[in-house]
Amino acid sequence: MHYVILGNGVAGMEAALALRARDDGAPITLVSAEHDHFFSRPALMYVFAGQTSLRDTEPYDRGLYGRMRFERVSGRVASLDAAGHALVFEDGSRLAYERLLLAVGSRARPAPWPGAEGAGLHYFVTLRDLEALDHEAKKGMRAAVLGGGLIGVEVAEVLHDRGLHVTFVIREGWYFPVALDRNEASLVAEHLRAQALDVRLGAGVDAVLRRDDGRVRGVRLAGGEEVVADLVVSTIGVVPNTGFLAGSALTLAKSGAIETDEALRTSAPDVWAAGDCANVTWLDGSRRPEQLWYTARDQGRLAARSMLGDEIAYRRGTWYNSAKFFDLEYTAAGYVPVSVGPEGNPIVPPPDLRTWFQRVPGRFESQRIVVKGDRVVGFNMLGSRWNHEPLLDWIHERRPLAWVLEHLGEAQFDEELSPRFRVLAREEAVS
Amino acid sequence: MQSGLMNTYQQPASNRSWVAWLLSALLFFAYILLYFGPIPALGLRFDLLQRAAEAAGAALGLPAVLHSKWVLYGTVYTLAMILGGAFVLRRHGNSPYQRIRTVSVVGVQVVFAFLLPIVLQVLGRKEYYFSYFWPLKIEYFYPSVILQQPFLIVFWSFLGSLVVFPLLAFFLGKRFYCSWVCGCGGLANTIGEPFRHHSSKSARAWSIEKVSIHTVLFLALVATAIVWINWAVGRQHPEFASFAFKVQEGYGFAIGAMFAGVLGVGLYPLMGTRVWCRFGCPMAALLGLVQKLGRFRITVKNDMCIACGNCSTYCEMGIDVRQYAMANQTFTRAACVGCGMCAHVCPRGVLKLENQPIRWKAGQPIRVHAVDL
Repeated sequence: MHYVILGNGVAGMEAALALRARDDGAPITLVSAEHDHFFSRPALMYVFAGQTSLRDTEPYDRGLYGRMRFERVSGRVASLDAAGHALVFEDGSRLAYERLLLAVGSRARPAPWPGAEGAGLHYFVTLRDLEALDHEAKKGMRAAVLGGGLIGVEVAEVLHDRGLHVTFVIREGWYFPVALDRNEASLVAEHLRAQALDVRLGAGVDAVLRRDDGRVRGVRLAGGEEVVADLVVSTIGVVPNTGFLAGSALTLAKSGAIETDEALRTSAPDVWAAGDCANVTWLDGSRRPEQLWYTARDQGRLAARSMLGDEIAYRRGTWYNSAKFFDLEYTAAGYVPVSVGPEGNPIVPPPDLRTWFQRVPGRFESQRIVVKGDRVVGFNMLGSRWNHEPLLDWIHERRPLAWVLEHLGEAQFDEELSPRFRVLAREEAVS
Repeated sequence: MQSGLMNTYQQPASNRSWVAWLLSALLFFAYILLYFGPIPALGLRFDLLQRAAEAAGAALGLPAVLHSKWVLYGTVYTLAMILGGAFVLRRHGNSPYQRIRTVSVVGVQVVFAFLLPIVLQVLGRKEYYFSYFWPLKIEYFYPSVILQQPFLIVFWSFLGSLVVFPLLAFFLGKRFYCSWVCGCGGLANTIGEPFRHHSSKSARAWSIEKVSIHTVLFLALVATAIVWINWAVGRQHPEFASFAFKVQEGYGFAIGAMFAGVLGVGLYPLMGTRVWCRFGCPMAALLGLVQKLGRFRITVKNDMCIACGNCSTYCEMGIDVRQYAMANQTFTRAACVGCGMCAHVCPRGVLKLENQPIRWKAGQPIRVHAVDL
């Protein structure tokens, strides 16, 4: 059985390792256009800053490819011939497969504004994006970062670190509304402003402005106000990297994501999909890709089992996630209601939820606990470290708020000698 | 929780550019001058550093007993640690662990390895470095020291070598010597900070390390034994006495001067700051074995690693921390000096240095089930 894996990101690599662990003899081919070796995409900001080298972000030593007998093919695939069981490269050459995993990931969502096309408008998803921005971003320049998500805050941080004057333009009323509530977001915004960032909230973008010679000179906001900028980075999300599948037999969602069943099989025989490019069913029943490192890793491993013939059903476990906004680490576990959906659509949270929230005075730190009925169902923690595993255990054990508040300190995961968690307000904070 | 970003690879001194090579060459040269003084073969006919120390001592009006290149070296070394310590506090001082550890290692150097030895010398006694212990400072268990120093110093020496630091290593990890007290580690963790990422993370380096550090430990034990046997029977056996003298001199030259000093510090800008601690130090080897049996560990939070590599990159001991983090594997490595930098720079808070009994079982993947709302 010849396994071919298109894409050597985390989903592809984890799938390849899982296949090799079970099938010692099968040829396994990894196809990639971006980089010859698997690297950690969430680490690109550290490469840009010079905190790590690109080589440092490769999770496995390069000898692994040889030890695992992974064939590697470097090249850009132009189309999939599902009937002929082959990938067709841009140069016309073909690579036959017996079982194929599409783990092609995402690319930046194209900037939709007038004037966006052309030099000076950047993204921050691929190595090529990074190189282009690295080449242009110079100390003392003004940069506008458009989009209040996780990539946006990373770009704002690395540009700020390089000595650019950053304006962070966020369409929504507060930062990262798909995960943070108003209190948490204002804490983040305060922290960003304390670093001399110009944070604009509720600021939709109207157009990217250019000089007569075509160079970027700023952006115009919906209200007509202009933000001066020598370069613009658009960080308004990612879209599945599936353009090459347009004419193929595969069923794609409107977003371009590859439709999969619960065993991560696509509509074509012997073709699976995993990671950012795969449409899966969420807990709320909606069909969307899960654009997360953790789920890409899990889907890759699971897709490999499916390709080996195991009966599997991909079910997203209880939500957990982590991120960092400048200096503030963020941990989420369980169900945390938000007011804005992934497409900017408003969401009305279930009516019988209560929230316990405290902000630690004098620090950029807060804890939010979501309570449904008599038990805790979710945590949103900002500015300190938490072990999500006991938090998830307590959710599954249906622990009440009083019990959780008493034991919460046990789940704190900060460095030794750090201030210990304390309950500052027991009852009043419940809203 | 790291505050701000580091631009390590954009600094010429920290990215193995010609600046780093030049720095390394200068350090090599300085240490060779220090240990070997006049080297006529290289055209160095007099002890340059000793002359400099004498001139400086006279100019400052210091007591004659301090007109020594070793006092000059101690002064420069301590100043470098204070300067580097300030740099570390500015960069990582937001972390209480890093802040307290840095103050400790610099404070111990200033008091126990700089001021007290100078006071002893000024009082006309033999100098003694109170923060160094056998087998790192091998001569502190030689009869020449034990039989000549006052009881309290000998007691201090035995207590540190055989009781306090092994016990601390068992319960809290060898960090309470290697990165809270020791001056070698202290130099690495202060002025050496910009070079910590150069330690090799390869499996090959790890296998070399295991052989070399335990070989040095073995040599240190053998050398100590031979020197004592010589003390007991050397007078009757002049041939053994000359053999013992050669062992003592040989160990001092090869391990004490060349490995710990010239290579250990000279290679800072090219191979990282813990070359000696990782590949050579017999104290680190001994405490590492105790640590392996003890309670200290680095706890890994399950399934939260994003494989960014900050932990491995900034491990000065060359431990590929990321492999454990990706595998959900809480671990104890004999080499780990507990500097805490892996946990500090992790952007997802995956790692934690711990010595408490284990509360949350590690190593199992998170159970896949959903909140039933």
